[in-house]
Amino acid sequence: MVYSSELVKGTLKTIVMKLLTDNKKMYGYEITQRVKELTADKIQITEGALYPTLHALEAEGLLTTQTEYIGKRVRKYYSLSPTGKTRTKERVSEMADFINTMIFLLDLKPKTA
Amino acid sequence: MYQLSDEQVDYILNDISARGIKMEDLQDNLLDHVCCIIEQNLEDGGAFEAFYQSTIARFYKKDLAEIEEETQLLLTFKNYYAMRKVMIRAGVVSVCAFALGSLFKIMYWPGASVLFTLAIGIFSFIFMPLLFLLKRREASNTQERLLLASGVLAGIGYAVSTLFHVQHWPGARIMWFVTLILAFFVAIPLYFFGGIRKPGQRTNTIVISVVMVGVLGVQFLLTALRPSTQTTGRIYAYLQTEDMLEKLRHQQHNNDKLVQDIQATCEALKQELLQTEIGLREIPGDFEAQNIRLNERYVANGFFTMERPGQLLKQLKQQVAAYNASKAGMPDSQLPVKNSILDDHFLDKDFCSSLYVLNNIAQLQVFLAQIPPGDAATVR
Repeated sequence: MVYSSELVKGTLKTIVMKLLTDNKKMYGYEITQRVKELTADKIQITEGALYPTLHALEAEGLLTTQTEYIGKRVRKYYSLSPTGKTRTKERVSEMADFINTMIFLLDLKPKTA
Repeated sequence: MYQLSDEQVDYILNDISARGIKMEDLQDNLLDHVCCIIEQNLEDGGAFEAFYQSTIARFYKKDLAEIEEETQLLLTFKNYYAMRKVMIRAGVVSVCAFALGSLFKIMYWPGASVLFTLAIGIFSFIFMPLLFLLKRREASNTQERLLLASGVLAGIGYAVSTLFHVQHWPGARIMWFVTLILAFFVAIPLYFFGGIRKPGQRTNTIVISVVMVGVLGVQFLLTALRPSTQTTGRIYAYLQTEDMLEKLRHQQHNNDKLVQDIQATCEALKQELLQTEIGLREIPGDFEAQNIRLNERYVANGFFTMERPGQLLKQLKQQVAAYNASKAGMPDSQLPVKNSILDDHFLDKDFCSSLYVLNNIAQLQVFLAQIPPGDAATVR
């Protein structure tokens, strides 16, 4: 099963930022591949969603970039800025909280008692 | 693993650019991304072009340019709330400054010009441009964009020409007519025909269009109307008095210091009044052709509460009192104070218009100018 793009859209920033925390610097294609790999193909980030998000994060000052020439073409590596690092922690803990709320709201709580 | 040649990289880059990706950053990113996919997935000697076309087709729903549009949207969205906040604040400040400026203007308090300029500056160069930027994204077709652009321009023209009118700066009339033409022939028709086609907005569109035409029509009338023939007649009568004064001055020169001082104070007062009313120091002979309007509105009390006119009037009264004292016992040589603006209780009468004041001062000057040097007038 592949998750709907609507579902992925709201979490994309958090996913990208968390990946960059763990991997220091990554380029676009690498990010899509890593996500696919880690989620066993369940989350497939489209190019149409990824690049606008990366540019927006860069404009917000959360990401910094480095370029590298691969033959004739330019590869842009993204990494977290200091503000980006703090923001990632906030976003991840917010997401964790959100997931708990959703579990409760949708009545998915595994019966532990 | 497939090896891309430089020509193939160029081919991809050109194609991405031709498909509407203009941001260089984004071009680089997409180019690298496509190249990675091709290198990873195309076998050696595979059909490059066909593979590329099928790969790029997976990037979008409608066309590749949507990625750039989405990027632009996200980049501007970041500023959206800040811009809206600034716009609302600018609007509030501008309206308050305009209302205060109007009050100051009719009360002849100092600072009206500063407030007007501030209000209209903020409105025209902060509020309206921000409104345009924020609304532009909502405009979905060319007609709506044209309506927005012409509406914003007409709004700025309306505000700026009002400022120019109030401040008596040159060019106000031209600006006002350009604004009217833009509003009547572009903005309102676009608004009307755009809105009337939408069933839910028909009534609203008709009502607002009628109100806009009405308001602009009334304003047009007010600015295009000439003053009444009576007023024009009184302006000519005043100019005739000025001519007489001029000739009398040429006929004889009075060296009396006090007489010269009184004449100078009178001139200064007239200039101040005309500066306030029409932005000029005197009424030109061809004032009708030049479309210069001098309204016969009540001015006296307000005008003389202003700092300099107030001082000048006080000075004039003192000088006239001194002159009359020097002619004690010669009542025919004394300046007539009765029925003039030097008579205090005349100033708050509602006939005390700018023209009345001008005429009044000029008459005093004529009287003074026809008294020959020395005291010839007293010898009868």
